[in-house]
Amino acid sequence: METLEPPDDELVRRTQAGDARAFDELVLRFSPRLYGLVYHMTSSHEDTNDLLQDIFSKAYRSIKGFQGKSSFYTWMHTIAVNMAINFLKKRNRRKTTSLDDVDNGILNDPDFIEATSHGDPSREANLSELQKKLNESMLKLSHDHRAVVTMFDIQGMPHAEISKVLKISEGTVRSRLFYAHRQLQNYLQEFINK
Amino acid sequence: MDNEDSITKLLRLKRYEQPSEEYFQNFLAEFQTRQRSEVIHRPLLQIAWDRFSSIFILPSVPKLVMATSFATAVFAAAFIMNWADDDTPSNLTLASSGAVQLDSKARPAQGKNGSAVQYVLPARPVSYASARSF
Repeated sequence: METLEPPDDELVRRTQAGDARAFDELVLRFSPRLYGLVYHMTSSHEDTNDLLQDIFSKAYRSIKGFQGKSSFYTWMHTIAVNMAINFLKKRNRRKTTSLDDVDNGILNDPDFIEATSHGDPSREANLSELQKKLNESMLKLSHDHRAVVTMFDIQGMPHAEISKVLKISEGTVRSRLFYAHRQLQNYLQEFINK
Repeated sequence: MDNEDSITKLLRLKRYEQPSEEYFQNFLAEFQTRQRSEVIHRPLLQIAWDRFSSIFILPSVPKLVMATSFATAVFAAAFIMNWADDDTPSNLTLASSGAVQLDSKARPAQGKNGSAVQYVLPARPVSYASARSF
């Protein structure tokens, strides 16, 4: 028999009433998705871990002020994107990210290799290069463009949802995507033509 | 448009970059530990603000107004406390001769021969004297 999970709204109400376990449930529910969002913006697992802790801490501190005007999903994404962009601005001031710092952990991910190489060794070698190039290209985008590409292309969020998260019009979302894709095409030309 | 699709397909490969389930369980444990530590080490001013906002903040009042009134209250409290510290103790009276004597109610100290010792302070505090006068 399948157990019904409580909806986000109910967990939020319980958290607002002081039930910390309800917030734990929200952390478990949202952390995989927000991990993806932050990781694809920072390209570093270590930074993502720290930043995600900060994001949930901030959400917990501010949850009493959440009035339900938007969905909790949108609210959490807004906090995550804003904090990730602020973090990237600070990181840029601190140092220029070396390309060696870019995380290539995916290359050890069996699911990824299975999904893309089909056991072909020469393709596996190319994957390494592709992965590196993909991360490098993402880091070359501006923070705003990277956020839009992450949400639309990688996480599959619709334009309308992205516009709510970033508090910009859908037209601006589309325009940012267009320019970001054009830049990425230049960086990834060799892989597109293959 | 083909290039656009190719970019989208390439970027979708990044969806696989996700840690294991175990990571997220550990993440929650780490978050709980950190939360407890934050509660213990929270700055005094932040605790005061949280209490103030939980008591006084109304949904219709803008947060900026509340923050300003909170800051004013903190400054006022600091000023009053500072002012109270500077105040002269009430059991000291200034004598007309220019010396300060202890209040008659206070028990006088006893000298060697049993006579009361009188404490006489100069009318002009040392801090007012010129640095070049010896």
